[in-house]
Amino acid sequence: MPAKRLTSQRGVWNKLRAIGICIFAIMILLPISYVILISITPDSEVGSGSLLPTHFAWNNYVQMWQTVNLAQNIQNSIIISAFTGILSTIIALGAAYVLARFQFRGRKTFLLSLITMQTIPQVMMLLPLFVILVIIQNAINVHLVGQYYTVIITYMTFALPFACWLLLSYMANIPVELEEAGLVDGCTRWQVVRHIVFPLMLPGMVVSFVFSFLLAWSDVLFASVLTSPATHTVAVGLQAYIASGEAGGDVYWGQLMAASLTSGLPIVIIFLFFQKYIMGGLASGAVKG
Amino acid sequence: MRETQVEPITSSAANTVSRVGPGVGKLQKRNSPPYWMMFPALLLLIIIVVAPFLVAVYTSFTKLDQYTIANWTHAPFVGWKNYVNAFTQGNALGASAIQSVWVSIAFSLLTTIGITPIGIIAALLVNKPFRGQRWVRAMFLIPYVMPIFVNAITWRLLFMNGWGLIDRILSALHLASKNTFWLIGPHSFWAMVIADIWSSWPFVYLMVLAGLQGISDDLYESAHMDGATPIRCFFSITLPSLRPILGLALLLSTLNHFNNFTLPFIMFGTPPAPQADVLPLNVYVTSFQTFNFGLGAAMSLLTLVLMMIPAFFYIRMLRLGEES
Repeated sequence: MPAKRLTSQRGVWNKLRAIGICIFAIMILLPISYVILISITPDSEVGSGSLLPTHFAWNNYVQMWQTVNLAQNIQNSIIISAFTGILSTIIALGAAYVLARFQFRGRKTFLLSLITMQTIPQVMMLLPLFVILVIIQNAINVHLVGQYYTVIITYMTFALPFACWLLLSYMANIPVELEEAGLVDGCTRWQVVRHIVFPLMLPGMVVSFVFSFLLAWSDVLFASVLTSPATHTVAVGLQAYIASGEAGGDVYWGQLMAASLTSGLPIVIIFLFFQKYIMGGLASGAVKG
Repeated sequence: MRETQVEPITSSAANTVSRVGPGVGKLQKRNSPPYWMMFPALLLLIIIVVAPFLVAVYTSFTKLDQYTIANWTHAPFVGWKNYVNAFTQGNALGASAIQSVWVSIAFSLLTTIGITPIGIIAALLVNKPFRGQRWVRAMFLIPYVMPIFVNAITWRLLFMNGWGLIDRILSALHLASKNTFWLIGPHSFWAMVIADIWSSWPFVYLMVLAGLQGISDDLYESAHMDGATPIRCFFSITLPSLRPILGLALLLSTLNHFNNFTLPFIMFGTPPAPQADVLPLNVYVTSFQTFNFGLGAAMSLLTLVLMMIPAFFYIRMLRLGEES
């Protein structure tokens, strides 16, 4: 009898779950489907009475490369995001190692300031960074605003504290005994880090890279002030479509949606590819312990 | 920070910090720490975070504009005047700073309240194994991993007046007029809330999913023996066990939604309707469109002071104090 009750309950639960998942699927996929639909609708038919266009305008996906210099923007985004990810991860690794493994004076202050840094509103950092860049520019007569390295360094204002925290929590899950064994066997500190810590930290470093990359890729605020036409990221490039509409011109809705999908989907794919690491890191850091 | 995208792992440090402190190996304690490994990060953080922060504080006491920016140190010192102005006038284009404070508070609280039940339900749906679980889990992450500017463009399209999907559906159901004007005027606040809930609920989902892994099955089995219904189990076992991680999720969510700049910026452009003029957007317009850098700095410092309230609780939750 209890067994039977259990199975019938399970049947109800399965049905409820199926309904629930369907509701979520509609909620998630409906907006995305509308974007896909508009991306293949000719501009003349966007905003007309009928939902479905009379014919599909696949050439939105061709023309979007010409209306805005999208290829250049994507390339800029890749360069800037990749360097932000790599530099933040490498520099943070050293700090995370020392913070996770040693007690020293000022450690608590360092940890506390790392958290505080993450709560500072981004918009607050933009203004002084801009002021400082202008001052340096005037002092040494070199153009800094709009350079790759300037954008990369400014992105590290939020990528670096974040990467430190992330790697710190990964480091805490690696047994310290492994390193002690290495030290007892006569390795130097550097050899221990290189041959023991580094390989074990690799998954954590991948996640740190992916998140820092994403932070940089998604940013609009810093990019809209600190990039020049030559270094505009994809987020700024897409704004150009909207800006033309606000200035009274036509918004190429079809091309804008095609370009949005093109700049968003690779990120989604990268993320889903690393999904296991990300979920795993989350679980091991936040729940065990 | 893509405002919301980063939190899960950040928060994972929660228990870490209390774990690493006293447990460090004895052997390592005797050696002096390899400070050189930490110096690049320390130096860089001082240059790119601490120094600009101090500049922001100084700027907030000056009358800095596009004419004086070239000669920043000579900008006239005006004391607390910018702070007074922040409360009374705001920028010339949009809402006053004090109005923006309320918009931001309402926005971050409402979105947090909105995403919590959605995230919990989503996590419960996919927690137990079933066929296709991997695909459903992946699908649930899509809104979250889409760059926020893509989400904002998507919702700008959906809320387009007259022909956007929202107006089409609402008018077909005779619930609202086709000309509701979601992107300008008072409705824009709700447009922003809806778009933000859609983009950020998977954050709570991720946190709760991680929390569910930590609940032992024994609890459910013994509850089942005692004849507890699934609903009773949820309220007596699941929810109490999730409390710490939910608390963390809600705090981080409030903090990050308060900082959300990208979504309203792309959805409405500048200046937005006063009802949707969140504080970060107001600071941006004040600083970079009306070029009142001093006032902008004062407003952003006020933002920071407000943020310190949830941040204080967040830091307390990390239990930094317990380790020494």
